Amino acid sequence: MTYRSASLVAYVAFFVLLMVLPFFLNSFWTNRMATYLVYSICALGIAMSWGYAGILSLGQGLFFGMGAYMLAMSLTLADPGNNPVPELMLLNMEPDAVRDLCCVTTGSFLWIPFRWVTVGILAGIVVPCILAALIGYVMFKRRTTGVYVSIITLAFALIGQLLIINNQPLTGGFNGLASLAALEIAGFEFDPYGPSVYYLVMFTLLVVMLLARYLLSGRVGQVLKAIREDEARARYLGYDVENYKLFIFCVSAGVAGLAGMLFTVTSEFAAPSLMATSFSISMVIWAATGGRASLLGACIGALIVNFIGSLASESATFQPVWPIILGALFVFVVLVMPNGIAGLFKDFFDRRSASANDGHAVPATAEGS
Amino acid sequence: MTKQTRRTFLKVSTLAAAGLATPSILRLGDRAWAADEIPVGIMYSLTGTTAIVEKSMNQCAQMAIDEINAKGGVLGKKLRPIIEDPASEPRIYGEKARKLTIEDQVPVIFGCYTTASRKAVLPVVEKRNGLLVWPTWYEGEECSKNVLYAGSAVPNQQLENSIPWLQKTLGKNKLFIVGSDYAFPRGMGKTTKTICQGIGMEVVGDEYLPLGHTEWASMVSKIGSSGADVIFSNVVGDSIVAFYRELRNQGYDFEKLPLCASTTTEVEIKAMGPEYALGSYVSLPYFQTVDTPQNKTFVEAFKAYAGADSVTHAAMEAVYVGVNMWAMAAEKAGDVSPEAVVANAGGLSFDAPQGKVTIDPQNLHSFLTPRIGKTRADGLLDIVDQYAEPLQPLPYSSVGETADKRICTTSGATL
Amino acid sequence: METFVIGLSIGSILFMVALGLAIIYGTMKVINLAHGEMVMIGAYTTVLATKHLGFNLYLCIPLAFLVTAAFGYVIERTVVQRLYGRLLDTLLATWGIALILQQLIRIHFGLALFGIHIDGLGSDLQNVPVPSELQQAFHFLGANIPVYRAFIFVMALVLGAVSWWLIFKTRFGSQLRAVSVARNTAAACGINDKRVNTLAFAYGSGLAGIAGVLVSGFKTVSPDMGTPYVVDAFLVVVAGGVGHLMGTLLSAGILGEVQSFVATWLNDVYGRTVLFTVVILILLFKPQGLFVTKSR
Repeated sequence: MTYRSASLVAYVAFFVLLMVLPFFLNSFWTNRMATYLVYSICALGIAMSWGYAGILSLGQGLFFGMGAYMLAMSLTLADPGNNPVPELMLLNMEPDAVRDLCCVTTGSFLWIPFRWVTVGILAGIVVPCILAALIGYVMFKRRTTGVYVSIITLAFALIGQLLIINNQPLTGGFNGLASLAALEIAGFEFDPYGPSVYYLVMFTLLVVMLLARYLLSGRVGQVLKAIREDEARARYLGYDVENYKLFIFCVSAGVAGLAGMLFTVTSEFAAPSLMATSFSISMVIWAATGGRASLLGACIGALIVNFIGSLASESATFQPVWPIILGALFVFVVLVMPNGIAGLFKDFFDRRSASANDGHAVPATAEGS
Repeated sequence: MTKQTRRTFLKVSTLAAAGLATPSILRLGDRAWAADEIPVGIMYSLTGTTAIVEKSMNQCAQMAIDEINAKGGVLGKKLRPIIEDPASEPRIYGEKARKLTIEDQVPVIFGCYTTASRKAVLPVVEKRNGLLVWPTWYEGEECSKNVLYAGSAVPNQQLENSIPWLQKTLGKNKLFIVGSDYAFPRGMGKTTKTICQGIGMEVVGDEYLPLGHTEWASMVSKIGSSGADVIFSNVVGDSIVAFYRELRNQGYDFEKLPLCASTTTEVEIKAMGPEYALGSYVSLPYFQTVDTPQNKTFVEAFKAYAGADSVTHAAMEAVYVGVNMWAMAAEKAGDVSPEAVVANAGGLSFDAPQGKVTIDPQNLHSFLTPRIGKTRADGLLDIVDQYAEPLQPLPYSSVGETADKRICTTSGATL
Repeated sequence: METFVIGLSIGSILFMVALGLAIIYGTMKVINLAHGEMVMIGAYTTVLATKHLGFNLYLCIPLAFLVTAAFGYVIERTVVQRLYGRLLDTLLATWGIALILQQLIRIHFGLALFGIHIDGLGSDLQNVPVPSELQQAFHFLGANIPVYRAFIFVMALVLGAVSWWLIFKTRFGSQLRAVSVARNTAAACGINDKRVNTLAFAYGSGLAGIAGVLVSGFKTVSPDMGTPYVVDAFLVVVAGGVGHLMGTLLSAGILGEVQSFVATWLNDVYGRTVLFTVVILILLFKPQGLFVTKSR
């Protein structure tokens, strides 16, 4: 079996497994798996920008959080207790303010479009994209690269978190938005604990994965890899490096926004803590563990890291040391398997084909999986 | 979603629904408990930023459960604690609450310390019919029927006594309100302003800094230049230590510029070094120094349980109240299910370390005894003022709730 | 005036944390996310030394330097050294190390698992006694200046001067500069570049340890106290220009003042927002930082 066909088998097996999984899970595990698959989508977005284009964003939580908030605003308004004006605004308004969404608190009119859930869903992808476009435009036009990109995105995420907390009458502040209605599309209500949400998440993952593969296996993917390897050379070859980077950065932000929305659906709340530095870095760790340059690897990485985390924190023996286990895992992954699980998988096949060639030179395989 | 995937999607969900109806043996995670045991969830952070306080709450909950079990348990069954660590992150609070409520099927969770964590747990207990017993004093503005607010003070129980006291006893008239930036301090701020208006006290400042902020120099110099003659602090967590130390370092003295706090417990005082808090006031229903026989036993029991140098504090006492009152309500109902417990909790009284605590049948909050303590050199507080009778809880006092005009009733909140 | 002084003191803390980071980043292009944990370990050294050895705050400064330098030495030897040239990977690995160090403090280096508890460790908040002469305030040009803040300011200047001397006036310093400008050439000239790296890392960590001692005097000591410092300090380093001591000093000063003035004028949240914005603007328009090393 060649590496190429083996990875196809891996993709198919992964999704078949996900497809049948709910048959064996109770409602708690269905929900938990759905949440972990949301993290997978997020890791997928990181693999696209980091693995392919070498752009490491440490502010992915900002886009994730924005997505979560957009949908959460719509679902807040869909909740009978928060209609027509959310309770958080009634609690924070001036005593003589008009009880209408237009002007109950400063800026509350921004909520008006979110009366329509469709707007919330669209905004959940579009707003992170626009935000990323703005940040990316300034960054890449100034030819900011590498670690500076990481730090700038990190700083933006911190600002986003601070501003949301500081504007409590508009955003719910530190507590976030928690009294949400269930997501309803065309009369069908998604139950966070039932298979409906699980399959919603799983099919989103599948669609995102297929689109990403389609996008990255073509010309765009090749150019991005060229940029990752040597930006200057790609520029001399006549490629518009900045626009390619901007594009993949926005796509990655959109994917994170989408994941954020689904997080709101599975977990029924959105809070500024989703934009915290530690969460953004965890996302990168998921992708790194699975294999930064592999879409499937990143997904699996997110599942595995979260599993280890939850199992370790729920066992009495490991409870006191589980952050150490996680920390050691990061160090281990970076030191010993820099290309993550997907890298191990690939090495295995490379070695096999090397021994099959029996001493002949191994053809260098340039592409990731 | 395309038409094709949508159709497959619907088909698969139907299949999956059928799958879920198969015998539970096939499925991961379903758990059957021994017939003579009642599983109860304990969910306080053992790691992360708020672990400092929550660890002691976790210990206290376990101690209370041990005591109940030693007396024969609840309805003749032993309580079996399932301990989860939500790592101070609301996201993980939600996840662990789901595990406890849905997978472990516990009828009650004793847990949470910050409002942010409670808000993440709320959708789980409300939609999956669970029960949270919430311990901490908080901003109110909540009226859930799946939360038992036992032992938890709301703004009117910390402010109705203390603000007029600052004016009458200390003769101060210019108040500076300072707090961490989230709902609790802001809610306290609103109620404080209402009270100040009523008694003719001037509010010269109302400022907030992010939770966990430790650079207080600018704020302290703002307080200094505002002309305030008394400070009310709703600062929370690590920031407290930095705030008090900064006041001292900039040369302020609590004798000349008194400070009354709503969240500075024995834990924080011990952490900053008592000399920095010496002479400052705190308004809470419980201090380790409360003079009741129940408290004597409680303090001794906890020291025996957690070590001789440990202190008891208000959040911990509330956990103790919560566990015991839940057990009382379950005994009275003859059933541990959340509805039965909630239906029977109203009107129950418990002789707590702080004195008599009664659950208000309307809003499931508690009648508590407001107290003001003054910090002494050993880090404990001398009680300088206390109510003779417990005060009723008005969770919506920040938006004008009064004893005659209730906002939170058995049918929910009407704003 | 008072605002200016507060800005100076915020700046001097930033400078002390950033100085170590600047040396490490400048020499080996490694971003050490565990740098904040070095501050934390410095603070815990102070807690333990004052509790168990009867040290006062001044004595803790050299002690904490040695302890954190030792930690830095070990981290460099075991992990960082294997990751040269993989900038983004060191970011992840050192974050992992940071998690481990925090938790080790919480569980008393694992002794808690065997029921042994050391007073001064664990997840509780800790405090450090401050000598009484540092607990006052004096008046200067109409401003109320806490002695402690002035002490920190002086210490920051002293550390800056010592580091400058070390880098520009000693043999080790010239090796360090050689390695940071052209590693391979330096190695070819017979400089043991690995040894230089390890020592630079240890020295940088040691500086963070000293910052930890000073910070412990007026802030909370807890296992996760270090995290907020890393990002701020790193912003200072990149804004000031990598490998440029004066740049780090100046940008720390500027950022401290920005934060202080906006905080007084509006509030601290906007102070931080403006601070981040200023850094981002600096990076965008002067990607090399305020000061560019021209010698290359």
